[in-house]
Amino acid sequence: MSEKYAVLPCNGLDKCAGVISREIALRLCGDAGHEIICPVFSRIAELKYRKIISEHPLLVIDGCPTRCASKLAAEKNFKIAGKITVTEEAKKSGIELSDTLQLGEKEHALIGLLLNDLKTPGNTSKQPDEREGESYHFDYETFQKGKFLFRVPVNKDIFFIENDCWAYVSGNRARIGVTDFVQQNLSDILFFTPPEMGSEIDQFGEAGEIESSKSVFEVISPVSGKVIGVNEALIQKPELINENPYELGWIADLELTAFENDKELLIGFDQYFEIMKRKVMDLNG
Amino acid sequence: MSETTFMGVERERIDWKPVIDYSKCDFCMECVKFCPHRVFEVRENQEIKLVVKNPFNCVVFCRACSKTCGPDALSFPDKNKTSQMIRDIRKEAENHE
Repeated sequence: MSEKYAVLPCNGLDKCAGVISREIALRLCGDAGHEIICPVFSRIAELKYRKIISEHPLLVIDGCPTRCASKLAAEKNFKIAGKITVTEEAKKSGIELSDTLQLGEKEHALIGLLLNDLKTPGNTSKQPDEREGESYHFDYETFQKGKFLFRVPVNKDIFFIENDCWAYVSGNRARIGVTDFVQQNLSDILFFTPPEMGSEIDQFGEAGEIESSKSVFEVISPVSGKVIGVNEALIQKPELINENPYELGWIADLELTAFENDKELLIGFDQYFEIMKRKVMDLNG
Repeated sequence: MSETTFMGVERERIDWKPVIDYSKCDFCMECVKFCPHRVFEVRENQEIKLVVKNPFNCVVFCRACSKTCGPDALSFPDKNKTSQMIRDIRKEAENHE
């Protein structure tokens, strides 16, 4: 983190992870000169922080998956440049947080690790070595329910799963993404966590996450493969998924590892379009 | 494909549902607020205030409620085992045709 950030912690005082988020924010702002956004005061004195947020990229520190700080940022329409969740970072580091609100040795060790990570440029935006993929254009069949339009691409090489994700297969590679059903239900997408470059994903395995003020959606890969590219543009502009999740809003490129086997559990346009229409009617009345 | 199938398999034959760890759950009900499929039920006047009421409403492979869970009290079956189970049931059905 080489530039100056606006730091928004969850500051949750009833959980250890929240206390850690507060401590990290205080240390970042004390030692490294970043600007703190108080989640409590910002609710009643938003103007105080508008200028800071307009001038500096926003780092959100959530304590736990309840994501109070992320939800506050969404509610206030603050654009998130980077974020961490303390409980997830603790898991990754093999540190079990205590049930008490007092910070002990383990908690201070985690704070040290995270502060160190945050001082390394690029870590907060989680940018792997993405490659620019070529952009595709598709023809669509559409289904409208009220003001919501649901597109599904019509192409024999695009396969779907019932979890509303797609794979466009070309040779031994596939581009994957989510469908309009996902982006319409999530509403404005605020943050994208890409899958790790080079990682191996099983069919139905997790291929990153997309997040709105409503929820976090785990991208479910329709195919097994090795991640050979992620959509770098989504890190800065996750709203591209809302604009078109099949073209500029794609998620990742995979090198296929078991496509013949995967095909058994994939469906084509005809089946998916019917399933999606039924889901739209069920969920949206 | 009817509403009660997933990948052509009767939903009730697929073991996929959240399991609540009551030693961690603080009954914040974020999962209830989130899940549009009414998988959970709130029981306000009981000691155990949250139960998995409709396990077969749960969307197979969806773990979104666990990602809203602050105390990390929700867990799901292994995805590979579940997809293998679906394949096995499909094969079994093909062999019977």
